[in-house]
Amino acid sequence: MSDDPITSAASPRSDRPVSVGGGSLDVRTSSSDMAGATATPRLAAPARPPVYALVGNPNCGKSTLFNALTGLKQKVGNYPGVTVERKVGTAYSQHGQPIQIIDLPGAYSLAARSPDEAVTRDVLLGRRADTPQPDRIICIVDATNLERNLYLVHQVLDLGKPVVVVLNMMDLLAQAGLQIRLARLQHALGIPVIPCEAVNGKGLIELKLALSRQDLPLARHAWDVPAPIAPAIAELQASLHQNDGRPPLVARAEALLLLTDLDAVRVAGSSPLSVRTTEILQNWKKRWEGEGIDWAGALVNSRYEVIGRLCAEAVQQAGATGPSASDRIDAVVTHPVWGWLVLGVTMAALFLSIFTLAQYPMDWIDGRVTALAEWLRGAMPAGDLRALLTDGVISGAGRVVEFLPQILILYFFIGLLEDTGYMARAAFIMDRVMSRVGLNGKSFIPLLSSYACAIPGIMATRTIEDRKDRLITILVAPLMSCSARLPVYLLMIAALFPAGSVPVLTKVGLMMGMYALGTAAAFGFAWLFKRTLLKGETPVMIMELPPYRWPSLRSLALRMLERAGLFLRRAGTIILGVSIVLWFLTAYPKASAGMPPEQQIAHSFAGKVGRALEPVLRPLGFDWRIGIAIVSSFVAREVFVSATGVVFGVQTDSGGNLLPLRDALQRAVWPDGRALFTPLVCLNLMIYFVLAMQCLSTTAVVRRETNSWGWTLFQQVYLSATAWLVAFAVYQTGRALGF
Amino acid sequence: MSAQFQTIIALALVALAVALLVRGALRKKKSHGHGCGCPTDEFKARLKR
Repeated sequence: MSDDPITSAASPRSDRPVSVGGGSLDVRTSSSDMAGATATPRLAAPARPPVYALVGNPNCGKSTLFNALTGLKQKVGNYPGVTVERKVGTAYSQHGQPIQIIDLPGAYSLAARSPDEAVTRDVLLGRRADTPQPDRIICIVDATNLERNLYLVHQVLDLGKPVVVVLNMMDLLAQAGLQIRLARLQHALGIPVIPCEAVNGKGLIELKLALSRQDLPLARHAWDVPAPIAPAIAELQASLHQNDGRPPLVARAEALLLLTDLDAVRVAGSSPLSVRTTEILQNWKKRWEGEGIDWAGALVNSRYEVIGRLCAEAVQQAGATGPSASDRIDAVVTHPVWGWLVLGVTMAALFLSIFTLAQYPMDWIDGRVTALAEWLRGAMPAGDLRALLTDGVISGAGRVVEFLPQILILYFFIGLLEDTGYMARAAFIMDRVMSRVGLNGKSFIPLLSSYACAIPGIMATRTIEDRKDRLITILVAPLMSCSARLPVYLLMIAALFPAGSVPVLTKVGLMMGMYALGTAAAFGFAWLFKRTLLKGETPVMIMELPPYRWPSLRSLALRMLERAGLFLRRAGTIILGVSIVLWFLTAYPKASAGMPPEQQIAHSFAGKVGRALEPVLRPLGFDWRIGIAIVSSFVAREVFVSATGVVFGVQTDSGGNLLPLRDALQRAVWPDGRALFTPLVCLNLMIYFVLAMQCLSTTAVVRRETNSWGWTLFQQVYLSATAWLVAFAVYQTGRALGF
Repeated sequence: MSAQFQTIIALALVALAVALLVRGALRKKKSHGHGCGCPTDEFKARLKR
């Protein structure tokens, strides 16, 4: 098949040196270049930093390499599909020249199936009017999975751009008993192939040297397009160029994609095909169907044949074959029985750490916050400013800061589980349950992210191909207990169980129960939606289990620092602002002098609102003061803690000293003297917060991602109604049973 | 510090908090893109330069 026009057309481009950016030459295709045969070097436009696109399969270390090159901090996960946002950064070559790098979402193929893969395809094909087509491409591949990763590289080479291949995870390659003949691979491809360990920073100098090259060669890229398909590609390429205005090499790459994916509309994406091109495509498909030719399969197989030959030459098995250490660990952690046990123990260890390790720093912060409030009370004369600072700022925003240690421990564990590779195993185990409720396996990662925060979780749903599955995942994601609920749970557990009254494992069990309730509710609603509003088939999950790795402590520390900064910024902005406003609403209008603080709040604006809401909340066991806190926490869930601090935290003991918030809650009573925060009410408040949609930022992201006010409103209504109904049922049943 | 002066300062702080919260709610969030994988306008402008 060497005389195939496509094959022979691609070959002459092999060693042509070209340059981009800071140099004087640039690669542009011209109309004379119709067959995709040549990339004509011509004088470049005024110098600007060359734009590199960073592409690769999910979970091949792309984000780590991007961080290492650009120094930007971003989330690096150890499971597929973490990069849903495109990131841009500036790296510097070995000669100090700036290089723009666009980090594109992970993709297995340019025949995109999901919205994030479509972004990668569209940027590389130059379809996005708002993004320049990259001058050059860095293809990062997982060296331990060369054959699978080279499929995307093979498609990228069709674009006729200078490409640098980065073989990442070389350390794991040696552990897997494999060797790659770099020289042979580099010679076969005709482009630089750089071995690298992005996580350790090894190979970066060599990579930067390659990126600095003015004469980066084009690939020696020849492959035999199956003979029955080749004429169709030539005809489609010509039509795409003439009728659809695609540049020649892009036209060829797009023609190949049109004949790889059964769904032409999906390939065309936001650039619909012209009538003529559609006709050509339909005619060829009809003809092949008549002849019984599997055209899509033929193209894919032909690529894999080339890759297979390349890998057979370049990859050597250096050591004895047999199950790797990862395989042996997986035999246990993905086992149908032991896997669940490992997952349960891991989660228990997480929550145990939150309760035990965080206690000391929490007590320390609590002591400092209380001491500061006491000092202010002594240092300032009585008045509104003192009340604002002590009852609003310190009792409100200050109390939220106490929960920083727990938030950090949560993120440390999440980071640890991601970086070691365990998260992907947890996804694998959970898929058994998720498939039963009809959820897409790909939904697990967005749902898992939602344990930290629903916003990145909802954004991560862009990896889900099916629109209905994506919508279901968005609708149920806020039910996963996010870190903002943690302070609420902890405060309620502290109020429920005075210090030392129960073993810590009881608290751990209760906390795990709340997380389990949220997860069960998410699965339950997904099951319901899948069978009613958003009916559809349950897709099969195909997931890659990455090898286990030692986590990078630097990466974990950076992530914890980032989260600490975000949490403190939130405490210092939104929560502080709401606390100040809430203080005003609880302090005005002023009651007559000498009135106790509780009566002042009842007399205030907030008290009036709370009392207006009480008929709705009383059946749940909540009084008007809890109502104020619930309404305030519609802004963000943590505000519940600051609001209870403002509303209840003004209590003092017999010596006139401020009480810790949990003690203040334990002393709060109904007008008839009954305790307000009974065990049943504390439990009910936790259940309410598990189910209720109390986060304006999440609502805004849902609106943006669904592009629908209807679905946004539906989510708000169904979650709020569920929270109220379940809390009502729990409280009334509890009361009936004598609790 | 007199009680009246404290009241004035406290109310000014409340007004400031309200203003900042409203501004935060109305202000367009700055991000790497437009939520669809597109680059920011600043980045596009930088490329054009």
